[in-house]
Amino acid sequence: MLIEASVSSLLDLLISPHMVLLLVVGVMIGLFFGIMPGLGGKLGIVFLIPFTFGMDPLFGAVFLLAMHSVVHTSGAIPSILFGIPGTGPDAATIVDGYPMAQNGEAGRALGATLAASGVGGVIGAVFLSLLLPFASPLVLAFSPAEFFLLAVLGITFIASLSGDNLLKGLVVGLFGLMISCVRLDPMSGEQRYTYDQLFLWDGIDAVTAVIAIFAIPELIGLATRQEVNAEKLASTVKYTFAEVWEGCLDVGRHWALTFRTSIIGAVIGLIPGLGGDVASWMCYGHAVQSSKTPERFGKGAVEGVIAPETANNSKEGGSLLPTLYFGIPGSSGMAILLGALVTLGVQPGPQMATLGLNFVWTLVWTLAIANILAVFILLACAPWFSKLASIRSELLVPFVVVLSMLGCYLAANAWQNFIVLLVLGLIGFLLKKHDWPRPPFVVGIVLGPVAEGSLHKAMAIWGYAFLLRPLSLVMLALILGTIALNIVRLLRRSSRHAHS
Amino acid sequence: MFKKIWATCLVVLAGLLLSSPVLADSTLFDGKTITYIVATKPGGGYDTMGRLVAKYLEKHLKGSRVVVKNVPGAGHLIGAKTIFAAKPDGLTIGTFNTSLINSQLTNAIADHPDMNQMSWIGKAAIESRVLLVSAMSEFKNFDDFRKAQRTVKMATSGKGSASHIDASLLAKAFDLNMEFIHGFEGSEAEMSILRGEIDAHVGSRSSLQPFVDNGYGRILLEIGGEPGSKLPQASDLATTDRSRSVLSLIEAQARISRLTAGPGNVNPLVLQTLREAYMSATSDPDFLAEADKLKLPISTASGEAVTALVKAALAQSPEIVGLLKEVLKEE
Repeated sequence: MLIEASVSSLLDLLISPHMVLLLVVGVMIGLFFGIMPGLGGKLGIVFLIPFTFGMDPLFGAVFLLAMHSVVHTSGAIPSILFGIPGTGPDAATIVDGYPMAQNGEAGRALGATLAASGVGGVIGAVFLSLLLPFASPLVLAFSPAEFFLLAVLGITFIASLSGDNLLKGLVVGLFGLMISCVRLDPMSGEQRYTYDQLFLWDGIDAVTAVIAIFAIPELIGLATRQEVNAEKLASTVKYTFAEVWEGCLDVGRHWALTFRTSIIGAVIGLIPGLGGDVASWMCYGHAVQSSKTPERFGKGAVEGVIAPETANNSKEGGSLLPTLYFGIPGSSGMAILLGALVTLGVQPGPQMATLGLNFVWTLVWTLAIANILAVFILLACAPWFSKLASIRSELLVPFVVVLSMLGCYLAANAWQNFIVLLVLGLIGFLLKKHDWPRPPFVVGIVLGPVAEGSLHKAMAIWGYAFLLRPLSLVMLALILGTIALNIVRLLRRSSRHAHS
Repeated sequence: MFKKIWATCLVVLAGLLLSSPVLADSTLFDGKTITYIVATKPGGGYDTMGRLVAKYLEKHLKGSRVVVKNVPGAGHLIGAKTIFAAKPDGLTIGTFNTSLINSQLTNAIADHPDMNQMSWIGKAAIESRVLLVSAMSEFKNFDDFRKAQRTVKMATSGKGSASHIDASLLAKAFDLNMEFIHGFEGSEAEMSILRGEIDAHVGSRSSLQPFVDNGYGRILLEIGGEPGSKLPQASDLATTDRSRSVLSLIEAQARISRLTAGPGNVNPLVLQTLREAYMSATSDPDFLAEADKLKLPISTASGEAVTALVKAALAQSPEIVGLLKEVLKEE
């Protein structure tokens, strides 16, 4: 029945010109929303919802999913070429993607990101299809206790993202955690440093933080680059298709990492409430932790591009599971997609695994085909992307500034968010100028609310006994192992410096 | 004498003109764009209903365009404030959670928009509240729940949220022994109930019904249900005047659900036009068919009726206001 449903839904998809057209148009729109800093998949769905009114539910779902599943594929392009994230989760790609471009490996970084996104997206689709019969126990395995420990695990990755200076990384990461506490306390309802400003009640959103910390310093750098030799700059990001292809092959060379991070991304997507930022940073951290030469990361390691990009796309398949099976969105983007699906007349629930099998398989194929199509489209356009970097900064900077501000405004719907953008942007600029790591700050901001909320809930439900749950014990072991590994690496680095 | 008669006629004529009912002008919005604000993120009950209402409002306001804008944040407060602060020209209207009536009653928030000053255009639903437990729960009915030998763990989205206040008032009405665990946003409460970590949750029937229909949950009690509802009604089980008046606060807000409002002092002609278009839109057979497909229960009331209902909901006794403040201060 499973095979019959999968084959028949693929055939139904491919022989329907209308559905194919919707898929292709959805992919093109998704790539556009991804490449424009600050826009992203959520806005894409909101933009497309009115166009789906009156559509057949399946056609509408294919259209929306095709758009949403490819935004991170193109979102990595401005991350690599300019150090400006196209979407929040693509910020992790900047850490090594941008240095790769600065080192003259822009083509390789682009190729790696495209191939990684495509592979990750397909693995995410396969993950969805294989796990649907087992959705219930998987989704239910993660309680507030596991959420909290997952967040702590992510926070311990801060050490591995700090490059050579662990102390600086910890300070920046804890600063990010501190800033994440500026919100309305969900437990007591009290304002925490919001000074009666309503737009701060829900906290500082990750999109604003990411754009401020990464984009603003780069824009200041771009705006002041007149003294840099323009020819030298253009040649840095100029690349051939052979280099792009080389990057694609890197994904095959690092197949084990690609597979692992695709699965980790899909699993994180499966857990409602964590979101895309968590998946990309966790997988980046995993790539650093699992590498025999972690000191290369942050300076242009291709694995630092592959890991977050596979996760960004594979999480889509994972997050569809609780969305379709329980009607509980796996991420904020899925929440909007779920609303749109319900509007179209789709009824999520356990019957999806039986009566709705054809529908689910159509979405699985949509995910897979959309990701593959996106890769080919962007590969075909790859030669033109390098021209973007040679655009005069007088034209580029204002355009990107306006887009970034638009993204910040749309994220919070408050003009006061520009003040947050400026303040955090200034902090990001100072961090960059004095060579302090910036990724830990974003990890702190993203994981802080998850950690805090989950801890309160876990303590309220179980007290300290939450640490003794079976899955919690496994995660505690992972956390302690990660900390031990970091300490060992630190000691080894110190002894190597002492000997030299 | 002739002058006296003429003056009297003028006075009578003026009186007639001033007292005559405002007649809606269906061409008033011709070529205009109305922004319909939804005080939540896209997706979810308010957004779905808001978009449906906006679509049919456009159909029944000749020549107009109605554009939905999501203004989420601070528990619907940002969206409500945006509507309240808008120019009173009828071109900015929207929807938000009726639980803001509670926050106004308790004076918990500075610069809270005055619900009595809003220009109410209409409301689309009665959103009764239900007490939800797991389908596997030891509590088979409300009597079991009431007689629980232990403290029942109740999930809410946050302190002061609608789910918290409704559950607290229910606890006060029936002397229930509850422990509140806050922070369950969106569907997290349902997930937690599925996992068996939480015993119960109070929320709107339309948002929790799919969970029940999928076989995961059981509704023990309904508050503010419509006549003919097959669920046990809280008002039938209340035995004291105090419990009835506590429950009436929840019921009052349940009756004013999925409202649409504009800022205060909207021109009477403009408001009347909007009200009439709203009633036409929400009784349009196509609207009702789409709402039915989306499983959105529809029970409309005019802007005038909503104005009276809101006024009544805000005119609570000092005892009830004290109870609300006590609920928010507890823990």
